[in-house]
Amino acid sequence: MDEEILQDFLVEAQDLLEQLNEQLVDLEQTPDDMDLLNAIFRAFHTIKGGAGFIGIKPLVEVCHRAENAFDKIRNGEMAYTPEVADVILRVYDTIQDIIERLSNGEREFDEHVVDEGLLKELDALVSGEAPAATTDTEALATEASNEDDQGQAGSVTTTTSEEVSLELPPDWDPDEEITDEEFEMLLKMREEKLSQGGEGDENTAEVALELPPDWDPDEEITDEEFEMLLKMRDEKLSDSQEGDDTASATAAKSQQQKSDERSQPASSSQTAATAQAMDEAKSAQQSSTGNKKSGAMDQNQSKKSAGTTAPAGGGQKQESTVRVDTKRLDEIMNLVGELVLVRNRLLTLRNGAEVDIEEISNAVSNLDHVTTDLQTAVMKTRMQPVKKVFGRFPRVVRDLARKLGKEIELELRGEDTDLDKNLVEALADPLVHLVRNAVDHGIELPEERVKAGKPRVGKIILAAEQEGDHILLSITDDGRGMDPEKLKRKAIEKGLIDEMTAAQMSDKEAFELIMAPGFSTAEVVSDISGRGVGMDVVKSMITRLNGSIEIDSVPGEGTQIKIRVPLTLAILPTLMVAFGDDSYSIPLTSVQEIFDFEPEHTNRIDGQVMVQLRERSIPLYFLKDWLAPNMNLSDEEHDKVVIVNVGGQKIGLVVEQVRGQEEVVIKPLGVMLQKLPGYAGATITGNGSIALILDLPGVLQRYKKMQNKGVSHVSAK
Amino acid sequence: MFQPNKELNQEDPFVTPSEAAEEESIGPMQRCVLFNLDREIYGIDVSHIREVLRVGRIRNVPGSDARILGVINVRGVIVTVVDMRRMINVPVSDITDRSRIIIVELDEERPVGLLVDNVLEVRDIPEKRIESVGASQEENSKYIQGIAHYMNQVIILVDVFNLLDEEADEH
Repeated sequence: MDEEILQDFLVEAQDLLEQLNEQLVDLEQTPDDMDLLNAIFRAFHTIKGGAGFIGIKPLVEVCHRAENAFDKIRNGEMAYTPEVADVILRVYDTIQDIIERLSNGEREFDEHVVDEGLLKELDALVSGEAPAATTDTEALATEASNEDDQGQAGSVTTTTSEEVSLELPPDWDPDEEITDEEFEMLLKMREEKLSQGGEGDENTAEVALELPPDWDPDEEITDEEFEMLLKMRDEKLSDSQEGDDTASATAAKSQQQKSDERSQPASSSQTAATAQAMDEAKSAQQSSTGNKKSGAMDQNQSKKSAGTTAPAGGGQKQESTVRVDTKRLDEIMNLVGELVLVRNRLLTLRNGAEVDIEEISNAVSNLDHVTTDLQTAVMKTRMQPVKKVFGRFPRVVRDLARKLGKEIELELRGEDTDLDKNLVEALADPLVHLVRNAVDHGIELPEERVKAGKPRVGKIILAAEQEGDHILLSITDDGRGMDPEKLKRKAIEKGLIDEMTAAQMSDKEAFELIMAPGFSTAEVVSDISGRGVGMDVVKSMITRLNGSIEIDSVPGEGTQIKIRVPLTLAILPTLMVAFGDDSYSIPLTSVQEIFDFEPEHTNRIDGQVMVQLRERSIPLYFLKDWLAPNMNLSDEEHDKVVIVNVGGQKIGLVVEQVRGQEEVVIKPLGVMLQKLPGYAGATITGNGSIALILDLPGVLQRYKKMQNKGVSHVSAK
Repeated sequence: MFQPNKELNQEDPFVTPSEAAEEESIGPMQRCVLFNLDREIYGIDVSHIREVLRVGRIRNVPGSDARILGVINVRGVIVTVVDMRRMINVPVSDITDRSRIIIVELDEERPVGLLVDNVLEVRDIPEKRIESVGASQEENSKYIQGIAHYMNQVIILVDVFNLLDEEADEH
């Protein structure tokens, strides 16, 4: 199995699966959408083609049957009912499972990888009448009915009533099986013709391209040849001033025909897409010039097209690559060039006889601009649309709603909001949990809703938007909401808070109780929400991302959960505190207020020093005990108290100095220190020294441990 | 404990210095950076070493393993510095002007700094001069890759992976 081709297949398949996930759920809403049906059909077909090419038979089998099913649906012989959808979604899961195992390095699959029952169900779906298998009626049906993965087709008619005549390459041998590439091409050609037919024919001019007379049809087309064709086409086009899609398809076709033996079907089909999508031949030509050196141009192009149509393929856990638009790289290259220029200028200035302060300050401010731009540009390469996470939710909601007998409409907003790749991956789990919660606990059963005078169908809105240097994610449902009083009672029952605290609590604080460890609102732990991962885990996951959660709810009207996370994990606004010369950063998101430490305003309650703040007692932790046990510091009189919010709990950290706010770039601590509790990393401060970034939950844990051992001066009874 | 061997080498009547040089110029060599700890000479295979630095400010990390001195900033990368003396149970001494930090790479992403008394030189040691240590070695001597008797010196070759890798995983 050719590893390179396999990798290309995986990339493509993962992209397709990602789209399929959404498309399949959408289809349930609009079962008659022909474009959607075609897209789904093609996706299965493309995966099947690739699977056949790299020889994974079970995958071919299952895709093949799915294709059959969709063919029937397309022809109106079958409806896409929820029952059918269940089967198809299982097919989807099976395919995804195989793809995942492939990308994890598994290479051999036996037949059991696909559930036999599933295949039978699929067969049952399409059984009854044999699919039409003539060359003239439905090429797709023909294709699908063919037992091995290659179809036979002469010409293609459309599923709509319009007839379009398509041409096969002149060298096409009617006795030979049609290849996937050719088939794809036909499909594409047909689509184009159809759309052109609808729009009038400003674009119908064909550009005839000639291959060199010495060209050997059996040989693979070379990059040069392909480029020459492109160029030729470009010229002809500019001559006639008539842009034409078909021509690009022709150009792509000529490549496809020749490269079919070596190239992977899937990528070729995308090549065609690229050729059209890019501002026609011109940009295609540029890109091919750029790729000239690399032998496998089609692969490069397909990658590029995948990059533009569906930027990067996140979601995969172990994925460590990111696809970046070449434009962004050019931008970075440009900025690096600028940077070199500034450096040269500074070097010249250093070697100069006289010190010209103005010149130097000019150069430095230039440097400032360039580095800021460079930082933004580099950060952009790591950005991915939040769609990567949102994409999976239609399916999650659909499956769950069906299982629970609820009717739910999911609305996604702001899917194009960009955020850091790591964040996209890290947010996936908490969001899944929250959405599941909304479906399970939030939205009521349809009857219940009707009784309460609400529409039968519940609504969940999943939204993302940029809010300054933060991303705001919100999950809103119009379900039953939460009753703060009920939550408080529950928390008291569970011994999480006492009556006194409960009485003082605001509604918002009461809602936050659901994120306290050991709190679960569901009377019965269902297998949906109660998987041992509670809201407390969600909360700690978000906190780890330096984000915050806010809950708002009105009983009977619904709940809204807002998550704020920084745009990137790499840069963190912090509060710099210090003991002697050692500085530490506290993530600014958790800092609430700072005031002078006044021993007379503290009490010792059960061995714990507490400070009074607006009629509340807040526990104080003397960081010195841990961070600077042997340091001789100025007396406590000048210490400062930093009130921080850790996991919903307010605590006061006593520090020697507060140095102010600083944006820091988080760097991992070195070997042997990375899992040290209490630290989130380190950073280099403006003066070149190292500051350690505190991880507050870790600090707290550490501190509690110390207290138990009786080391701390707080508990030294 | 290596003294007897050293003398044996010196008194070896069958190999004259010139013959030794000749013998050494052939056969595979291991290029090592030699450094001192207390009175002994140690060597680390040069292919694991990225650079040798003077000791600047080492930022302590409260709560870390006692053998870890802290972290330093090596061109924007935070690198852990361990005290080589503590790692191999040699009495601790103060940092002097001659002290150096050897930056070794466990792999591309994981540099570690080793604080040593001073760095001597880079030397090619013929592999045939390196004796691997016997299986009788105690657990805590696992870091010794071998002992080379060469040019009238006893050089303890350190296996940085055994020395650091397990530690790196433990935490």
